[in-house]
Amino acid sequence: MTTMRLTGYADKFGVHPGDTIKFYVNCDGPAEYKVEIVQMINGDTNPRGPGYIDRPVEAAVNGTYAGRKQVIHGGSYGYVPDARPFNVESFTLQCWIWPTAPKTHPRYWKHGAQGLVTKWSGDCGYGLFVNAEGCLELRINEHRITTGVPIRDHAWHFCAASFDATTGDVVLYHEPQVVYALDPEIPPVTASLKVAVAPAPVPVALGAYVEALAPSDPLAASSKPAGVIFAGKYNGKIDSPRICNRALSRAEIEMMKAGAQPGLTERRNSGPTGKLSECIVAAWNFSQGIDTIHAKDEGPYRFDATLVNCPNRGMTGYNWSGQNFDWKHAPNEYGAISFHDDDVDDARWASDFAWTVPETGVKSRFYAAKLTTADGAEDFIPFWVVPRIGQKTAKIAVMVPTISYMAYANEHVACNAGGAELFIYRVPIMQQQNMFLSEHREYGGSIYDTHTDGTGISISSRLRPILSIRPKYDHFLAQAPWQYPADLHLIYWLETMGYEYDVFTDEDITYDGLARIENYNVIITGSHPEHNSGPQLDALHNYTQRGGRLMYMGADAWYWVHSFHPAYEDKGRGVVTEMRRCESGIRTWRADPGEYYHQGTGELGGMWRFRGRYLHSVAGVGMSSEGFDVSSYFSRTPDSLDPRVAWAFEGIGYDEKLGNFGLVGGGAAGLELDIVDTMLGSPPHTLAVATSAGRHTEAYLLVMEDFGFNQQGLDGTTHPRVRGDIAFHETPNGGACFAFSSIAFCGSLPWNNCDNNISRLVKNVLDRFAMDGPLPAPPAEAIKHRGRADYDPTPIEHRSRKERGEPLPA
Amino acid sequence: MEPIPRKGTPERQRLIDTHKACMDSMKGVAGNSVLQCGTPGDTTIIGGGVHADPVLKRVLLRMRGESPKGKLIVICTKVDAEWRIARLSGIRGVPPEFVDEIVYTDEQEIQHAVFLMRLEELSDSYGFPEDFHEGWKRRDDNWPVT
Repeated sequence: MTTMRLTGYADKFGVHPGDTIKFYVNCDGPAEYKVEIVQMINGDTNPRGPGYIDRPVEAAVNGTYAGRKQVIHGGSYGYVPDARPFNVESFTLQCWIWPTAPKTHPRYWKHGAQGLVTKWSGDCGYGLFVNAEGCLELRINEHRITTGVPIRDHAWHFCAASFDATTGDVVLYHEPQVVYALDPEIPPVTASLKVAVAPAPVPVALGAYVEALAPSDPLAASSKPAGVIFAGKYNGKIDSPRICNRALSRAEIEMMKAGAQPGLTERRNSGPTGKLSECIVAAWNFSQGIDTIHAKDEGPYRFDATLVNCPNRGMTGYNWSGQNFDWKHAPNEYGAISFHDDDVDDARWASDFAWTVPETGVKSRFYAAKLTTADGAEDFIPFWVVPRIGQKTAKIAVMVPTISYMAYANEHVACNAGGAELFIYRVPIMQQQNMFLSEHREYGGSIYDTHTDGTGISISSRLRPILSIRPKYDHFLAQAPWQYPADLHLIYWLETMGYEYDVFTDEDITYDGLARIENYNVIITGSHPEHNSGPQLDALHNYTQRGGRLMYMGADAWYWVHSFHPAYEDKGRGVVTEMRRCESGIRTWRADPGEYYHQGTGELGGMWRFRGRYLHSVAGVGMSSEGFDVSSYFSRTPDSLDPRVAWAFEGIGYDEKLGNFGLVGGGAAGLELDIVDTMLGSPPHTLAVATSAGRHTEAYLLVMEDFGFNQQGLDGTTHPRVRGDIAFHETPNGGACFAFSSIAFCGSLPWNNCDNNISRLVKNVLDRFAMDGPLPAPPAEAIKHRGRADYDPTPIEHRSRKERGEPLPA
Repeated sequence: MEPIPRKGTPERQRLIDTHKACMDSMKGVAGNSVLQCGTPGDTTIIGGGVHADPVLKRVLLRMRGESPKGKLIVICTKVDAEWRIARLSGIRGVPPEFVDEIVYTDEQEIQHAVFLMRLEELSDSYGFPEDFHEGWKRRDDNWPVT
C-alpha cells in the first residue's frame, strides 16, 4: 500500500477574513506538489451516499510548490544552553527516577539508552543514563560505568554518581525506594578513571542527550533548539535532579536531596549547608512553575531548563504522601516531571505557503488546502474561515468541535489496544493514515491513546499534522466518518438545502465567550462535541438563557473537562489542550492517584458531571450508552404530539420509522446515545419526542458512571437506559434546545439526496429556530410546577403509547 | 469459560455457518455486527447471530480480547474497495504486517476470513490453567486494557 508522502498542518484552525494562515508541509519524495484551496462539502466515500465533494476556491496561493521533507523531533526533554559552570572537572549527579520503559524490545521504535541528566555527546562529557539493557549507567567521555542491575519499571529509585578528577574515583549509586524480600542488594559501584572530562559543547539535557549538533541540516531546524538533535528520550518520571562540581560523599549527597534551599533568612547563599552551596551547579525544583514549560533551577546560576514537547507536570513525586491530591495544595510532593519519547507540542516546521483570506468574497465555511502530487499522493489541511466578532453574515452558525477533533487527533487505539475489538464488535479496519501513524510515533497520539511507554496521553497539540481530521477517512470505531468527516455530513446537508451559515471553532467561543455567539439566532453543534472548555459551556448557557437556540446534532457531548495550556498562548488560540481522565466516565486509560489536576490551569480534570456540571443541563440530554457495531432508528413518543413541539413533525407521520437508513451504521440511532434524565440536569419540562428504546444490540452498553455495581443486564438487549431520546425544551426569553441524541444521526441527513424524514425533522427545527425574535410562547397551560423525580402518572399525556392505545410501529 | 470448539465438530461448523450468514446479510453496510439482517443490508431490523447463539457470542468475545501482539487486523488498502489481513506487532513503532497476498473486495468477507483463521489458530486450552504463564501476572493478557 502507499505510504503517506504528503502531510501538513496550518498555524490556525480558524482564520478571519483579511488575516493570513500559514501552511507547513512535509513532501517526502516527490519534487513538487500542487496546492488548491477548496471548500469542503462532503468527506464520506460511502457508496450509499453522495461521495467525496469539494468546491474549488479562487485563491492567490493556488499553485505548484517545491516539495521538501520535514520531520517531527518528538519526545519530551528539558535543556539548558551550554555554560561555563557545566564544564566541570569533578562532579556529582543525582536525581530520583520512576522509569516506565527502562528496557525496551530491540524493535521498539526508540530502543537504546535513555538520558537522565546529561552533558554528554559523541563520547565527550558526562551524564547519567539508563542503558539499553535497562541498567543505570554513568558516562564519562567514552567510558561507561554501570551497575549491571536492571532497574525495576514503575518504581521510584534514587540515583547518583560522583567523579573525583584528582583521584579518579567513580561511585555510582542505585537505591530503590521499595525493596522486596527477594531483591538482591545493590551496592554502590566503584571504579577508577584517570581521565579528564572532555567538555562537550552541547546543552545540558534532562530526559535526553544530545546526539549531534547539526546547524546546517535542514531536518534539524525543527528541533528545539534548532540545529541540536536530541536522542535517548527518556520514558518516566524524574524528580529533583542536581549537578554539583565536586565528588560529594554519600552523606553530602543525602543532604543535597534537599536542594538549594534558598529561603533561609540568615543565609543568602544557596545550599543545604554553606559548604554545599559552594559546589552547586544546578538544583532543579520541578514543583515550581508547574503550569509553565520552564523547569526552575534554584541554584546560584538560575539555569532554568526549557521544556520541549510538553512533558507531564503536576505528577506525584517520590515523596507523595497521598494526603493531598491537588498539586496546588502540596507542590513539594509534585516535584516530578513525566517524560515520554512520543510527546509533541509543536512540529516546528518551516512554512511552505500562506494565504491571506480576502476581506470579502470568501464565505465563512469549512475549507482545506488540498495537496496533491502527480503520482497520486494527497493530503488535506482543514481550516475554517470565521467572521470577526460583530461581522456575522448569517442567522445560523455551526460550532465546529475542534477541541474534540484535537482529543481524537492521530488516534491509535485499533493498533495499540487489545480491547479495541471488544468495543466495536468486529475486527478493526486500519486505513493508510493509521498505518503511517503506527510507524511514525513522533506524530503523537490522541487523548484516547497511551504513550509508547503505556502511560495515558493527556495533552494534544494542533501544531502537527493530524491525519484523523481528514476527508476520506473512516474511523475504526464507526467504520464510517467520525468527528471532522462526520460533521461534513451536516455541512453537505446545509449546502444541499441552501442555508446560509457561519462557522466558528471551539477556540473562538472559548476565548470570545458570549460575544462570539450572541448575535446568531441558532447555533448548530457537530455530531460529537464531547470535549469542552469551561468558558465554552458558560457561553452556551448564557446564550440559551438569553433566548438563543441550540441544535445539538449528536451525542456524548459536554462530557470531558478541557483546558488550553497557558504556556502556548503566544502561538495562537487553543494550541495545546489538556484533559486528565480521572474518576469516572468512559476511559481508555485512567490517571494515576493524585494526578487528576491539569498542569496548565490547575483545574480538576475528568467529567464535567463530577465537577457538578451535568451533561444534561446544556441541551437537555446526556450520554447513556455506547456501542459501535450497527445503528437503529427512532420512534415518536406521545410527547411529540404536544403543541409545544408538534411543529417539528410537520410532514412526518406519527408511526414513521425515523432514520431507518443512514451512512453511519445503517441508521440514525447509533454509536453513542443520549437520553433525557431530569435527575441529571435535564430541565423538568423537557419533552422526549422520539426514542430508540429496545432497538440496540448487545454491543451497546450503559455508561459506567450510571452504575456502581458490576452486574449483568447492562447491554442494549436488556437495559432500558440503552437508548437515544430526541428531546426539546424551551429556555427563557424565547430560546430553546433541540437535541438529536445520537452520533450516527447526521449520517442520515444526506440519505436519498437529503430527501428523508430525518432531513425533514431537522429542517423543521432549523427553520423555526432561525427566525428572528423570540420563539412563539408556549401555551399558557404549559407553565406549571414540575418535579424532577416527582410526576403525576395519571394524565393521559404522561402515559405510554400502549396505555393510550397507540401501538408502536412494527 | 467457553472453549474454542474443536476442529471437525458440528458445533464448530454451526458457528462458521452462522457467522457467514450474518456477514452475508450485512453486505453493503459500512461496519457490521455478527447479526442477521431481516432485509439484507438493512441493520435496523436484526436478530439471530450472537443474540441467538451464546457459544458464538462467547467464542467471538474471547477472540476479540486477544493481546495486540500477533493479533489479526484488517487493513484497508484502497478506500471502499480493497482490504487485506495483517497482524499487529504489539511493539510500538512497528506497523502491522500483511499475513498473505489475498485481497478482499468487501468488508464482510474479510471479517469472516479472520474468524476462520482464528478458529484455526486458537487452541482449545486457550485461556485455561494449562496455558498459565508468567505474563498473566503482568498484564500480558491485556484483556480489558485499552
